[in-house]
Amino acid sequence: MADITVTIGKHTFQNPVFAASGTFGYGLENPDLVDISAFGAIVTKSITRQPREGNPPPRIVETPSGMINSIGLSNIGVDKYVSDMAPKYADIGCPVIMNIAGSSEDEYCEIVEITESVNSNIIGYEVNISCPNVKHGGIEFGVNAELTESLTSKIRKRTGKLVIMKLSPNVTDIRSIAMAAEAGGADALSAINTVYGMSINPHTKKSEIYTTYGGLSGPAIKPVGLACVHKVSLAVDVPVIGIGGITSGKDAVEYILAGASAIQVGTANYRDPATGISILDDLKRYLAEQNIATVAEMIGMVETYES
Amino acid sequence: MKVIENTVVKSNTEIASGIWELVADSPKICSEYRGPGQFVSILPIDGWQHPLRRPMSIAAVKKSSLTIIYKIFGDVTSEFSKLQKGDNLNMLGPIGNTFSGWDDSGYDPVLVGGGVGLAPILNLKNTCADNGIAVAVIIGARRGSEHFMDHDPDNGLWLTTDDGSLGAAGTVMPTLEDVIASLPNPRLFACGPEPMLEAVRDFSIAKGIPAELSVESYMACGIELCQGCVIAKPNGQDKKNSYHERYSLVCADGPIYEAKDISFG
Repeated sequence: MADITVTIGKHTFQNPVFAASGTFGYGLENPDLVDISAFGAIVTKSITRQPREGNPPPRIVETPSGMINSIGLSNIGVDKYVSDMAPKYADIGCPVIMNIAGSSEDEYCEIVEITESVNSNIIGYEVNISCPNVKHGGIEFGVNAELTESLTSKIRKRTGKLVIMKLSPNVTDIRSIAMAAEAGGADALSAINTVYGMSINPHTKKSEIYTTYGGLSGPAIKPVGLACVHKVSLAVDVPVIGIGGITSGKDAVEYILAGASAIQVGTANYRDPATGISILDDLKRYLAEQNIATVAEMIGMVETYES
Repeated sequence: MKVIENTVVKSNTEIASGIWELVADSPKICSEYRGPGQFVSILPIDGWQHPLRRPMSIAAVKKSSLTIIYKIFGDVTSEFSKLQKGDNLNMLGPIGNTFSGWDDSGYDPVLVGGGVGLAPILNLKNTCADNGIAVAVIIGARRGSEHFMDHDPDNGLWLTTDDGSLGAAGTVMPTLEDVIASLPNPRLFACGPEPMLEAVRDFSIAKGIPAELSVESYMACGIELCQGCVIAKPNGQDKKNSYHERYSLVCADGPIYEAKDISFG
């Protein structure tokens, strides 16, 4: 059987299929519907310094092969997260990556300091510098290389755990942000967060999302995600975690060929939170059929016409 | 407990203009079902063109048979109408809480349904009948062709139509006021379009009549992951740094709310 373990920073994961932030809650919501110990890792919804209600409804609308969300980082806040959620991770059989979001460097740093002050099996932080749905939810960092490097290095100084910067596709040149995060000391980069989108109801003539613009996800953005992962993986040496419209083992393979060391399943979890497990089964079947011995040897092996 | 089940269609028929009734064999979901008000979330049958499940109220559960009533609304429901006996339909459920207090003695349940909101009302009506509880039922529609029951006030069933083509002309509200007038201790249960729910809510609060409303919300998952299906709570807007105090998650706390606990628009 093929070796499906993947290594990111100092951590080796049992497989490359992770659950994406914002699509898997805190990881504890649906034990009857999904065995999370099968995942390589789960990434929590974004945790902020203070609790947040999130945006007024409507927050969700379906679009062709996708959806737009504008949840607005609704979450319980880091204090409650650390006291109520983190202890429950002791026996879930799966490493947890905590996604964090803030409106200032201080906020991000405080979240990390508070989390570092307790024992938990949180193995790292995925830093959301790319939420398109709140005015001060990190996107101002994610579109600016200098701020990205500075924030990354400040978080880096505060933890020995994995630091993964989550990149936005809504930038002029994603490579410059990726290189800044690497220079700041990131162990890995996640790409991509959602793509700016809008939906209008022609009957009511109203925007279908309260905040007018929201984040597009689902199969509709897979080509955008693949291109970003490919560009980023050529620009940096640290591993890239591919995200965007992954619903099948075939999609996962495409992301790995584009340069991803691991992948995250997002919108597909809303249909069935066990989608990641069927993706993993597909991936194993593909490796056997193709006589590929390790996932690692497939990373970035896409053949392109130009180099 | 919620389950995801590949149900098997037993029948799928148009019972009124553009309104369909689908019965599916669904032993797992039926065994978890707790009562009228709960819903299932149904996977579209066109692959990933429509990624999100469609929440639909349960209209009946009999042994392992689950009934939904749906209105042709767009591509997804149009595809559902083509389902034949023996076809599979993937459902997630049962989701949500149930109507409560309908079996309290001393109250006179009044059930109000409109549009696609009649499924849980029909379910509650039949559940009350099974338990020997007399109820008044008021069902609204735009026109007579959308109704599939008979206007029968002598037996407690009032129909209304916006165009006056069947039953009482106008919305359900004037009929509701008439029906309430003759009942000593009414208790309202309503499901339907938001303007109807808002009218029932305001009426019940003004009259001091207890009311439970079944609300609809855009929903990506139904299992507390997306945080999309929120409805505003009254008087919660001044809260700062709170979580689920200004908004309630319909898939977790609803879809049934006491009228005083939610606000519209």
